[in-house]
Amino acid sequence: MDNAIVTTDLVKRYGARKALDGLTLRVPRLAVLGLIGPNGAGKTTWMMSVAGFLHLTSGTIDLLGGGPFDSDVHRGRITILPQDSELPLESRPLELLIHYGLLQGLTPPEARKSARAMLTEVHLGDRLNAPIRSLSHGMRKRVMIAQCFIGYPEVVLLDEPLSGLDPREVAHMRSFLTRRRGQQTIVISSHNLHDIELMCDHVAFVESGRTVRLATLEEIIGTASTLVYGLDALPENFAALAEAVPEAVLTCNEETCELICRYDPRATSPEAINAKLLPALMAQCGVRTIAQGSNLEAEYLKRI
Amino acid sequence: MSELQQIWRVACHEWFDALRSRRALVVLLLYMAAAVCNMNWSINLLHKLESELVTVLQLPPSEHAGVVSTTLWKSKPFQRIMKQMAENNQVLQDITGKHPVELIYAWFAFFYTPLLVVLVAGNRISEDLGSGAVRYAVFRTSRACWTLGKFFGQALMIGLALVLSGIGAYAIAKYRLAGSGAPDLFLNILQWSIRAWVFSIPYLGLAMGLSLLTKSGSKAIVMGIIAITVCFVIAILLRHFTADTGWRAYLPYLGLLVPDAHKMDLWRNSLAPLVTGSFYLTTLGFCYLFTGYAFFRRRDV
Repeated sequence: MDNAIVTTDLVKRYGARKALDGLTLRVPRLAVLGLIGPNGAGKTTWMMSVAGFLHLTSGTIDLLGGGPFDSDVHRGRITILPQDSELPLESRPLELLIHYGLLQGLTPPEARKSARAMLTEVHLGDRLNAPIRSLSHGMRKRVMIAQCFIGYPEVVLLDEPLSGLDPREVAHMRSFLTRRRGQQTIVISSHNLHDIELMCDHVAFVESGRTVRLATLEEIIGTASTLVYGLDALPENFAALAEAVPEAVLTCNEETCELICRYDPRATSPEAINAKLLPALMAQCGVRTIAQGSNLEAEYLKRI
Repeated sequence: MSELQQIWRVACHEWFDALRSRRALVVLLLYMAAAVCNMNWSINLLHKLESELVTVLQLPPSEHAGVVSTTLWKSKPFQRIMKQMAENNQVLQDITGKHPVELIYAWFAFFYTPLLVVLVAGNRISEDLGSGAVRYAVFRTSRACWTLGKFFGQALMIGLALVLSGIGAYAIAKYRLAGSGAPDLFLNILQWSIRAWVFSIPYLGLAMGLSLLTKSGSKAIVMGIIAITVCFVIAILLRHFTADTGWRAYLPYLGLLVPDAHKMDLWRNSLAPLVTGSFYLTTLGFCYLFTGYAFFRRRDV
């Protein structure tokens, strides 16, 4: 598969502590990849290394087939929303984004058009010329997101893009990022697994500076191979259920009152499973919901 | 976009941003006010000196300062003051006959420019490093272009401060020296502003080079103030301890590293010292800046 970012055995030391400890990660081109991991796992360090902000202790980075970040090669092709980084406070959003666009190599009309469009997209059309100092935290965050998409870069790295936004803006940004699927390579680092599940098609679990798992979202939550039944009570005769669908593996989650059915999608289909399992289930308890696939949070907690 | 265009773009943005920065604006206005006050105070002093001279020489009295400038230049106390300011006879010869107001402004501009530079530009880079604003720029342009753009943006800012202070000083001089102001006084003051601007370049390189070393704006300013003080002290020590023989004969080489040792080249009339002095000071400024940059290009941002 064609990869936009390939990082191999990245090590970044801060004194005795290793922020990255041999992290290897391949980001497929045009994927929207969610980077998941606990605090201090190395997600931000990885992003900053890819963007050329950090000098690595060892390891190799290949960004868009052009080696590690080099402004001559990658200028305008990669952008980043860095964590905990303020925009210049005296600048105005429109003027700042035009400046960034020009630096990326856009022509003045292109930069102006792109900056205006992005600021309108993040609902800041009425604050184009307000000093950044005067904007609220959420508004500044929206300007920061907007600067990432100026000039349609090939790779966009977003570190906690939705934190600090109000619910309406979170929903809007989720939809905006989902629309970019298949058009740009986007890497999103977030602790909100629900957001990752909605926006991403690939997921990487990072732990202690290493990649624990990289797979498609479908592979991880099993959209094509798992059915999850939300029940109003736990079934009394579990063996009867297992007998009804011998081609599947059933597990019961007592905490969430869910029955999880895993099957081989090549051998059977969700419709066939439902046809056999639902009557047996409904004989014992009520079924509230049926969902395809598990959820990311459950899978993440299971693996970490 | 070529690297030169990128530098120019960063410089323009930096200049506009600096103009909107409240702190830089306050320092700029204070500098201008200081230039105006200094000029006013100096004209008072000049008027007093001239009045005494008029009494001694029994010349016709005048209400305005500066009308007996030619005579003033002949007075021993004034010559002594000028000789002290000029530091050497060649410079004294070059400035002899110039309007005192011009020299007062020149002295002010040269003396306070290093401080202006440190206060206005000393923390511009370190604050961007501290706030993380640098991260929005360095993946769009190279660190070298960003650093040079910042440098040139601040150079424009200092240039503006010097021109405005020159205009302020000229306005006061024009008002106080009514009827006696030379017609080309404004152009001459402007010329001194440009010379002071050239003199500011090594200090700008020093201040911004130091600013590249730290993420704390206040620390960068303190380091800048210490650095200009050290340069000033070294220049004084060199003047007093240089000798023709022994180890003291090598002291002038130390002068190659400090801008103050080349200041008087900019006070000369002839083109040769003016050009070589400007070239040397500019080179020194870039050397300071690139020393800081050598650290910055290897550091994490």
